[in-house]
Amino acid sequence: MEIAELQRQAGEWLSGQGPESDIVMSSRVRLARNLGGRPFLTRATDEVKTEIERTSREALLSAALAEGLLYINVMDATPIERLFLVERHLISKEHANASGQRGVALGKKERISIMVNEEDHLRLQVLCSGYQLREAWVEMATLDDKVESRLDYAFSSQFGYLTACPTNVGTGMRVSVMLHLPALVMTRQIDKVFHAVSKINLAVRGLYGEGTNSSGDFFQISNQVTLGRAEEDLIRQIEDVVPQIIKYERNVRESLFKDNPKGLEDRVWRAYGMLRFARTITSNETMELLSQVRLGVNMKIIEDLDINTVNELFILAQPAHLQMCKGKKLDSPERDVARATFIRNWLE
Amino acid sequence: MASCLEIRVICEGCNQNVATVHLTEIVKQTKKEVHLCEACAEERGVTKKAPFSISDLLGGLAEPQPAEKEEAAAPTQDCPRCGLSYADFRAHGRLGCPEDYRVFGKLLLPLLEKIHGNTQHLGRVPKRAGERVLREKELMQLREELRRAIDREEYEHAAELRDRIYRLKEPSGGNS
Ligand SMILES: [Zn+2]
Ligand SMILES: [Zn+2]
Repeated sequence: MEIAELQRQAGEWLSGQGPESDIVMSSRVRLARNLGGRPFLTRATDEVKTEIERTSREALLSAALAEGLLYINVMDATPIERLFLVERHLISKEHANASGQRGVALGKKERISIMVNEEDHLRLQVLCSGYQLREAWVEMATLDDKVESRLDYAFSSQFGYLTACPTNVGTGMRVSVMLHLPALVMTRQIDKVFHAVSKINLAVRGLYGEGTNSSGDFFQISNQVTLGRAEEDLIRQIEDVVPQIIKYERNVRESLFKDNPKGLEDRVWRAYGMLRFARTITSNETMELLSQVRLGVNMKIIEDLDINTVNELFILAQPAHLQMCKGKKLDSPERDVARATFIRNWLE
Repeated sequence: MASCLEIRVICEGCNQNVATVHLTEIVKQTKKEVHLCEACAEERGVTKKAPFSISDLLGGLAEPQPAEKEEAAAPTQDCPRCGLSYADFRAHGRLGCPEDYRVFGKLLLPLLEKIHGNTQHLGRVPKRAGERVLREKELMQLREELRRAIDREEYEHAAELRDRIYRLKEPSGGNS
């Protein structure tokens, strides 16, 4: 099975490369696109969904989008495999749980991925490590052109790219950055960020996007408006706030260290110690401790650990990843033991 | 499913905070939607707090404003392409097909204005759609010219025009 092969690698976006990667975990651009002359998915019968999936799959596979493009049929995947794809940020929860023919195409490095038959016929994604919104957008524009050379998009000169939900119409674009803000959370200043960001019409979400709690001190900031502003303009809107948040987090990190260096060091090393020696550990506790360790590595408190080793653990220690690794379904207590074992080996 | 519907509206009282209180006021027999932040709502003696969803937005919009009752009533026929009614859209917040943007266009404009603060697309345009629009325009002109040529019994010119029309139609022949 092809999905299993993914398990031996981690997405390039976890490499910890790229500008500001101590705070910006990843940059992402997403486009919603629909094929012309067909109903949107809420009004599509299973037969229509099958036709859209086939047409899209054939077009994507023949368009030379990326080296070693892999196409996964999500309908045929097991529940654990679907969750595995969600945990890797390759498909959404809605896509995992939907019905009818649907799939996802992805590049070898998992930098690009395209969901077929999610809320819209196509959802294109470019995901990069660090603060690289411009790079992500340039790549996306090329990707969009290649896909469009094979498929007719539903488009109107007034409303732009037509989407099932009017909140996405126009550019169909969501730009987002995933920020790691442990110091602002620790000092309870994160609400100020939320407040400032929501004032200028941007949205804040957790690690797994819409409707999730932010775990591991990760926050995703994205645009809300999609109609009436060009793509570059939407990117600029994000770029106007991200550097300020980065600066804010860095200042708080510095003052935390200045005020009580031993306190911060102790906190970080204890977290590292727990992860290295625990025998059973929940997903939530793992996220919290990893966040402290990530802070410690980025502040050079812990020096014998690579940042990508830490980044990858955020994903590899998730439930479906552990079960794929073990090759069987595990109940919750079994998972906690498997997780602790996996983390110990990983950090050794 | 409901998550893409989170909408932020700025308070009409202070023009600063995000509005979390949304109500319908009746002033001089005209219904008006008011969006306020908690502070401004309290100041006005309003305590009702309600979650804001696209259905609320649509609910308010769907009731015809007295002044434009007839206009609002006209486009509420179902989409001939996918069968979606405006009531279906109001209930679920999802459109049924691309055509709906044309069918329900008038009703959608105030909603789009509220969500995006805009109703006119700016940004990328698909290359093929652009080409198609041009091609369709040219085809229309050629057909018109062909009709005139036949009227004038200029059959040689008509045959030439017919061949040009066939050549133009060819590239899009495969799909739709
Ligand atoms: Zn206010
Ligand atoms: Zn329709």
